[in-house]
Amino acid sequence: MSTRVILAEATKSLKIYFFSSRTLFWTLALPLANGLYLYFLYLPFAAKSVDLQFSGTSYKIDLVGFTVVGQLLYTFFTMMLLAGAAFEAERWQGTLETVLLSPANRIAILLGGALANAFNYMWMLAALVLSWVAFIRTNIFIADPLALSLSFLLSYTAIVALGMCFEAFFIYSRRGSIVVASFQEPIMFLSGQVFPLQSMPSFLLPLSYLLPLTFGLVAVRLTMLGGATLSDVAVPLAALALMTLIFSVLAAFMVDYAERRAKAKATLTMF
Amino acid sequence: MSQGSNLAVEARQLSRDYMSTKRKHVFGKKTTTTIRALDNVDFEIQEGELFGLLGPNGAGKTTTVKILCTLLEPTSGHAFVKGLDVVKQARQVQRIVNMVAGGERMLYYRLTGRENLRYFAELYNVPKRDVKARVETLLELMGLVDRADDEVEKYSKGMKQRLQVCRGMINDPQVLFLDEPTLGLDVNIAKDLRKFICEKIVYEQGKTVLLTTHYMYEAEEMCGRVGFLSKGKLVAVGRPEELKRKAPSGFSIEILATRLTDETLTGLQKLELVKKVLTTDYEGEAEGEKVDRLIINVDSDKAVPKVLSHLAAQHCRVVSVNLRGPTLEDLFMLYTSEK
Repeated sequence: MSTRVILAEATKSLKIYFFSSRTLFWTLALPLANGLYLYFLYLPFAAKSVDLQFSGTSYKIDLVGFTVVGQLLYTFFTMMLLAGAAFEAERWQGTLETVLLSPANRIAILLGGALANAFNYMWMLAALVLSWVAFIRTNIFIADPLALSLSFLLSYTAIVALGMCFEAFFIYSRRGSIVVASFQEPIMFLSGQVFPLQSMPSFLLPLSYLLPLTFGLVAVRLTMLGGATLSDVAVPLAALALMTLIFSVLAAFMVDYAERRAKAKATLTMF
Repeated sequence: MSQGSNLAVEARQLSRDYMSTKRKHVFGKKTTTTIRALDNVDFEIQEGELFGLLGPNGAGKTTTVKILCTLLEPTSGHAFVKGLDVVKQARQVQRIVNMVAGGERMLYYRLTGRENLRYFAELYNVPKRDVKARVETLLELMGLVDRADDEVEKYSKGMKQRLQVCRGMINDPQVLFLDEPTLGLDVNIAKDLRKFICEKIVYEQGKTVLLTTHYMYEAEEMCGRVGFLSKGKLVAVGRPEELKRKAPSGFSIEILATRLTDETLTGLQKLELVKKVLTTDYEGEAEGEKVDRLIINVDSDKAVPKVLSHLAAQHCRVVSVNLRGPTLEDLFMLYTSEK
């Protein structure tokens, strides 16, 4: 896979969609507004805690922290799905065929788009964390910074890999965004973004454990708010690493299949 | 694929169907119609040749180009570029071809001209040490150096098209597909572009070019060989001079006249020495009456007085008469017209 293609795609995406004074301003201003919204939303629950159980251990986690971390990772997850819309943007601006005319590795193109989006996400992350620290009184308890870093990193890679699977819909069809949007709410529910997983009906749990967001939320919440160490979160981290691998292979297959189908069905030019 | 040949492009029994699905309402039953856009097309292009694919709108020109540059799969048949199967070896084909289409798409408007070319150079894995030189050479060749750092959205239509040609050349392709590259361009810009394609791309660099157009003068000026596509079928292939020699008559009478009726045309068709009568679109008036254009293929110039007598007898008003040998446009009309 070509690093040059990844970097070229990331640079292009940032220049087209991000690097203008107005975009920079609004991508900074809107998350700040979002932070204020969260502050007032969670104010009544300040100093309350939630019981988060994982692998037989119970962690008392600050409720505000629980929900804010959930919001952070879910926002990132939806942004990665939106990164999937990169091919839809190509379709709309009439460049999809030009890109697919080239022999460039399609996964490298997608990774470039994901890299640009992750950069964009950093603004939002910084704004949310700042507003969180400045306004919301919550208990952050980090016992193992390495475990926290790995939790973020592996959440990122696994979510990007799943996002690339969704890309296949955008290559094949102009209605890809509808398909992808229809996944968003079920994922929000199943991942345990807004409530602890032990509250989930047991028959739905197997579906929850198919999502990288589920393990990402567990790992980040425990390492950031519950003082968990690397050994405590070894299982979710291993699951995230495995999902990164599986979804990456699946994405390569799905994207290749979608491109061949689009060429057979003549749907590349439709928009 | 023919063995030991110098063929750059080869199409064998190439067909392509499009499915059109309709519903009477959102939850209604689907009805699917199949439209055959390309019907068992066979042709080949030699290395270093500039081949023209001619035909009216909807004849299948763009479909053919898209199949050959791997953007569309054929429904049946096979196509090869430099011996590589465009379906089974698509990635290898993509490394040695490129395509430029008419119109204003296929570029990133919010990037500068230079940024566009650098981006595509990376997609095509142009050697790092060559990227800068190649981008600058192409910008220089197409006269875009002064505006290379402006965003493409600020370019004129002609500049966008010239940048498209630069993009099409960025991977130094062995085979270049040009799908109506002068569509909508000013006369001077189109002329410069034709000159660039003939002199620089084909003559100097020896590249193979497949050009689609429905401008006959363009094909006549540029192409060594042409093929006529009509309703998805390739109805004639050859050198323009050969095709003209094979035309059903040695002469064409071009007449501009008013008050032409079906009866007049039927009568003309029955005249001695007249081979074929064609009417073409013509926008003009003479003394408040609509003028039509007739092209009549005849065996001999002796047909002229007979034709004019017939028109006079039918009370038609003849505005102009021009007797000439067959042109590519006549052949186009002959091969692609229903009348």
